[in-house]
Amino acid sequence: MDEETDFDAIVIGAGFAGAATAFQLLKEGIEGDRILVVDRGEPIGGKNMTGGILWGRELDAFKEYLGNWEMDCPGIERCINHKKVGFLNNEDAIFIEGRFASWDGTGGTEEPSQRSAWSVLRAKTDAWLAEKMEEAGIFVMAGIKIDQLNINDLDHTSYNARDLTDPDKDSGVGKAQKWKVDSLPRELVDKIRNGTISGIVQDGEVMTCKVVVIAEGSNSILTRAYHFDRMLHAQSKDDMLLGIKEVIHLGKERIDERFNCFPGDEERPPSGMAMELALSLYREMSQDAWEKYPNTKGQYPRCGGFFYTNEETVSCGIIVQLKSLPEGLHTYDLYQAFKAQPAIAALIEGGEVIEYGGHLCPEYGLHRMPHRFTRDGAVVVGDAAGLVFANGMQIQGMNNALHSGKLAGAAIARCIANGDVSAAALDATYTKALKKSYIFRDLKRFKPATKFLNHPGNFTWVPELIGKTANRVFREIGEEKFSAEKVLLKTRKELRKRNKSNKKGMNIFGIMRLGLLGRKL
Amino acid sequence: MSGTQKIGMFTYDVKNGLGLIDYNIDDHEFAHIIVDIKKCDECSHMMCVWGCPAQCYNFRDQGLKQMKFQYEDCIECGTCFIMCDQGAVSWNHPRGGFGITYSQG
Ligand SMILES: Cc1cc2nc3c(=O)[nH]c(=O)nc-3n(C[C@H](O)[C@H](O)[C@H](O)COP(=O)(O)OP(=O)(O)OC[C@H]3O[C@@H](n4cnc5c(N)ncnc54)[C@H](O)[C@@H]3O)c2cc1C
Ligand code: SF4
Ligand code: SF4
Repeated sequence: MDEETDFDAIVIGAGFAGAATAFQLLKEGIEGDRILVVDRGEPIGGKNMTGGILWGRELDAFKEYLGNWEMDCPGIERCINHKKVGFLNNEDAIFIEGRFASWDGTGGTEEPSQRSAWSVLRAKTDAWLAEKMEEAGIFVMAGIKIDQLNINDLDHTSYNARDLTDPDKDSGVGKAQKWKVDSLPRELVDKIRNGTISGIVQDGEVMTCKVVVIAEGSNSILTRAYHFDRMLHAQSKDDMLLGIKEVIHLGKERIDERFNCFPGDEERPPSGMAMELALSLYREMSQDAWEKYPNTKGQYPRCGGFFYTNEETVSCGIIVQLKSLPEGLHTYDLYQAFKAQPAIAALIEGGEVIEYGGHLCPEYGLHRMPHRFTRDGAVVVGDAAGLVFANGMQIQGMNNALHSGKLAGAAIARCIANGDVSAAALDATYTKALKKSYIFRDLKRFKPATKFLNHPGNFTWVPELIGKTANRVFREIGEEKFSAEKVLLKTRKELRKRNKSNKKGMNIFGIMRLGLLGRKL
Repeated sequence: MSGTQKIGMFTYDVKNGLGLIDYNIDDHEFAHIIVDIKKCDECSHMMCVWGCPAQCYNFRDQGLKQMKFQYEDCIECGTCFIMCDQGAVSWNHPRGGFGITYSQG
């Protein structure tokens, strides 16, 4: 065995991406004591938050280490067999609802019968995964934050880790922003950005390895600082989502009853409901804000809501596209307005909030990926690499994190075996596999869908039109009834009169364009 | 600073939500976020204020003339680092073992 380096691989971050990389390395035959996983959380998982639904069955690949994860992992909450999509305005709520026997893994004959969607709570799941890693013999260190990588022929004390994220004294503004690292000597900067990475620096001490895996999640300081992603130099709120979520305790029985869930038995986990919502709740709040802060007049916040049932609790939250946030609106107020919508308030009635949290999620798409996924001696995986498929309603990040981790693990093991861990070798294995994987295929295929889902109409008049029309069609208040079509046209007319942007957005061509985009969903 | 807000029928305080999170706050000299508040004087948009889900940034929205930033309540989401394009925010994660710990996630 080769003992020149302290480890074969060091993984920074024990989220889904980091854990999958470590398990895959093990599976490929790398010894557990040659793999180090470090995480800044203590206990591990304590820093992590998601919506969240884990899609797919990526964890099956690690059965030998995880056993029956569906039943045993404390953070894997309910198997989702019940999905809702909703349109909310301030008063009305319309839901489209589906229950699928085949999603239970017990029923259904036409579609593959398989449990493939899970509500998860990350603090519990990640702590459990870390435990399993340790049981499998992997070195796991909790409560350690890495802010510097070791680079060959570069003394790590020659620059300060904080230089990488500190704005320069004369920083400039907007896209011209400069960071302290930009003012360091040229040669030094070159090494930081292009040298061979050979380990991590922790509290002034160097730990060496052949390949560093950056699995640090969405606040990708290292990814940007070490120039996988040029964007540090133009900090940008484009393509970033902020999620705000509360975990609300309702109790198991109440959830089973309120959401019609199967309570679970020895063999089958409890079932649950997942709901995503298009929101048009912020018209009045925005208009008030514009009066005080006219800079962003006309801008509505683009938010989506989500609501998932866990075993004892529900996860209730919103996703805000940071770019669309107008001045004068606090994100926490946007969340509270969601919670106060009558249909949502009814679902959480009697519940007790037990946690409040916020977390970023990249929504890069193909156009805004890091410009490279590898460097000599290092790779990026998961959220740090922006590998999230988000379409404004649904987010798939955890399965992508797991999948990219697997691909990285397999690639690294091969490169180590071949004795070549250069960027070229890692590209030929990891990057190539990534680009062929479903992650990239999804991102490509769903580009037009993203266009549809980001359409401003979906955050203003679409939910209003659907809600109001349904309200009037379904109701009897002793007035003459009209056909649904007539009501729709009448409601459209009213909404168009109400303001200018509706008038423009809801003209026939606007609606047709939206309809055409919607085909690509 | 009172953070009490009114939405429709009910009032709430974002700080109540923060009270549910487990914090281990590091000393001032190791504050993970440092804001150069002089730069805020010139700032036209205060996007940090609007973005922060934990109300760590208090400024003209609260009737203050000068930016008042508290790293103590931070939930480490990273929004302010993204929102400030004036070079006023130096951002990093808290030192290992410090900051928030979620029990649910
Ligand atoms: C509100 C919200 C809702 C979401 N909903 C869904 C959903 O329904 N379905 C879905 O599939 N995805 C969802 N996502 C996305 C999903 O959460 C992420 O894609 C996924 O968690 C990414 O995993 P990761 O392992 O790459 O990163 P993370 O899970 O963020 O893990 C990163 C780890 O690295 C550690 N770390 C970071 N920096 C350092 C450092 N310097 N030193 C040491 N350790 C460090 C952190 O402590 C953390 O444990 C959602 C995201 C948000 C914000
Ligand atoms: S956005 Fe930046 S400059 Fe503006 S108020 Fe916030 S921290 Fe200060
Ligand atoms: S990281 Fe998030 S919670 Fe912390 S100060 Fe910035 S915006 Fe607020």
